[in-house]
Amino acid sequence: MKIPILMITKLLSFLLGKLGRGGSFPGQVALRLNKHIFQCFRYTCPVIIVTGTNGKTSTSNLIADLFMHSGKRVINNRKGDNLKEGIATAFIHAAKLNGRISADAMVLEVDELNIPYIMNHVKVSTLVVTNFFRDQLDRSQEMEQLIQKIERAAASFDGTLILNGNDPNVVRIKDHAPHAQVLYFGADRCTASAETTQEASEGKFCPRCNHPLTYSFYQYSHIGSFHCTDCDFCTPQLTVCAQAIDIKQGSFQYDKHSFHAPVPSLYAIYNCMAVIGIAKLYDIPYELCDKAFRLAKQPAGRNETFYRQGIAYTLNLVKNPTGANEVLKTIELDQSDKALMIVLNDHAQDGTDVSWIYDAQFERVLQLSTQKIICSGTRAYDMALRIKYADYPGEIIVITDEKQALDELYRLRMRSYVIATYTALAPVRALMRKDESDAA
Amino acid sequence: MQHKKIRVCWMYHNIMDLYGDKGNMMVLSKRCENRGIECEIVPLDIGQEMDLTSFDLLFLGGGADREQVLLMEDLLKRKQQIAKAMEQGAFIVLICGGYQLFGQYYIAADGTKIEGLKFFDYYTEAGSNYQRCIGNIAISAQLDDITTTVIGFENHGGQTRNVSTPFGKVLSGYGNNQSEHMEGFYNGQVLGTYLHGPLFPKNPEIADFVIYKCLKKQNPELKYTDLTKLDDSLEQQAREVMLKRMNLTV
Repeated sequence: MKIPILMITKLLSFLLGKLGRGGSFPGQVALRLNKHIFQCFRYTCPVIIVTGTNGKTSTSNLIADLFMHSGKRVINNRKGDNLKEGIATAFIHAAKLNGRISADAMVLEVDELNIPYIMNHVKVSTLVVTNFFRDQLDRSQEMEQLIQKIERAAASFDGTLILNGNDPNVVRIKDHAPHAQVLYFGADRCTASAETTQEASEGKFCPRCNHPLTYSFYQYSHIGSFHCTDCDFCTPQLTVCAQAIDIKQGSFQYDKHSFHAPVPSLYAIYNCMAVIGIAKLYDIPYELCDKAFRLAKQPAGRNETFYRQGIAYTLNLVKNPTGANEVLKTIELDQSDKALMIVLNDHAQDGTDVSWIYDAQFERVLQLSTQKIICSGTRAYDMALRIKYADYPGEIIVITDEKQALDELYRLRMRSYVIATYTALAPVRALMRKDESDAA
Repeated sequence: MQHKKIRVCWMYHNIMDLYGDKGNMMVLSKRCENRGIECEIVPLDIGQEMDLTSFDLLFLGGGADREQVLLMEDLLKRKQQIAKAMEQGAFIVLICGGYQLFGQYYIAADGTKIEGLKFFDYYTEAGSNYQRCIGNIAISAQLDDITTTVIGFENHGGQTRNVSTPFGKVLSGYGNNQSEHMEGFYNGQVLGTYLHGPLFPKNPEIADFVIYKCLKKQNPELKYTDLTKLDDSLEQQAREVMLKRMNLTV
């Protein structure tokens, strides 16, 4: 059976490619025809998988770039098809008809809930975990249950774990993976670090003994230098640690080398440190890491600015409170008069539960210089209420339709920031691109 | 109005705040402020000394299973005080996890049994086939002589049964469990519900009812209709969107 399935699905993958369509359909078909499809593939190269709440796509793309810059052939699911169907599609695409995959490395971004399946069906050499934040609870259930699933999946893992040593929710995985090697990455205290936090919603208790955790400093959210008040659970000795961090420049040092993060922010520096961990493990020169960081293409809609009649409109994706807070911090820095447009959708990929908007600190951008706020999307009114009850003094405009909302934004003729949830990003970005070129 | 101040204890504010429950506090505070009523919200941490009998409202939100186990010891120590606060007429609002903890017991997804405060007869067990109740929900609720449609989002694995006096009848969604089509608990003084979203922003009538109950503790003559009307046009439109989506009439 194995050759016909591969043949059919490879053909499908080829045809879809010709039509300019990616997606995970070939993998879906293959898994439907044979649920053990992953057994059909033959490969000897290392398989690196990247998971976590935030930073999966950026980190896995940087790791793939790193291998490519060192002259290796890399297979990856760059488009972010990170469910098992998408990963099967990447395998099908890369495999010959006999199932053989010839590459020097496979770098795969994997959705957290798909980790148990992938760890069971793919020969994973290295598992990179970026962080665990509150995210789409309607889909991921409670975070504790999610982490436990990953811990169980790691129980017999004998490869290498590359873990964020500043996230207690990630560090705890090693406790359940006795056969694995581990390499911890993290970052030193810097000007953005703080003694206290209003942002942390997880990581309050020790996963070993349940006593409260205390922090000598926080970087953002619950990422920081922690230790248990009762047992010896704490930020471990960091194997690779960013030093001499300059947040404004996005520069930092490690092992006498200087680096520039693709975006000047702490979360981007953490992604970079995971990549440097990979370079250390696979013996790739650090210069190539910096090359990967400098040449990294920002994914669409991440701090992307469009111009229309000389006015800048900056678009950002938000998916969860932690990601949203990082975006809001950037907007907060701009004290000039401006308008804000927030597009809140509640489709499955956005999360059908919009209560997360109360965990995100929209208060940061409700200062007087934010003169108007346009709320749009399927849950525009929920967003409007969030802003209203945060005591926003300016004008709140609700326009559910995103095109009409953008037109209203243009009428304001003001420096603007647009924030969109997952399913709103692509349509809003397409409109903004078109409007930019029409106006030119 | 004679009394212009309410005191709220936000119990375990930083632990039992899983689904944006802080939004409820923002709404209470703002709706009081708009009416010239002072609203003092006092957060309570584990181990912190506090006289619970001095409050007009005790508010307890929802948390993850693990967190609920961790705070239960502290909550049990305060049982006498909570009982006394109730005797003195304090109102109590419990969301999701908080609602469960006031019952007999709660059996978590991993089988751990958490003994509740046992104020009421209801109990909660994880669903048999481990199906969570997740999604938008609307109920027809009865609060004393007010009948209203309440809108929210529910996300719970626990199935609550043996509720003598439910908060409302489910119009769309699950409610206390997957078979009975009833939601929450209300006995005139304690309101327990699975509805978050958070609850108050899209249900200003419920928020006002809670404010009224708090004021009534000091002024028994007060009527719900004595509260100054506020501009709730955004709230009404938010409700219409969700009701239409659930095929319910406004």
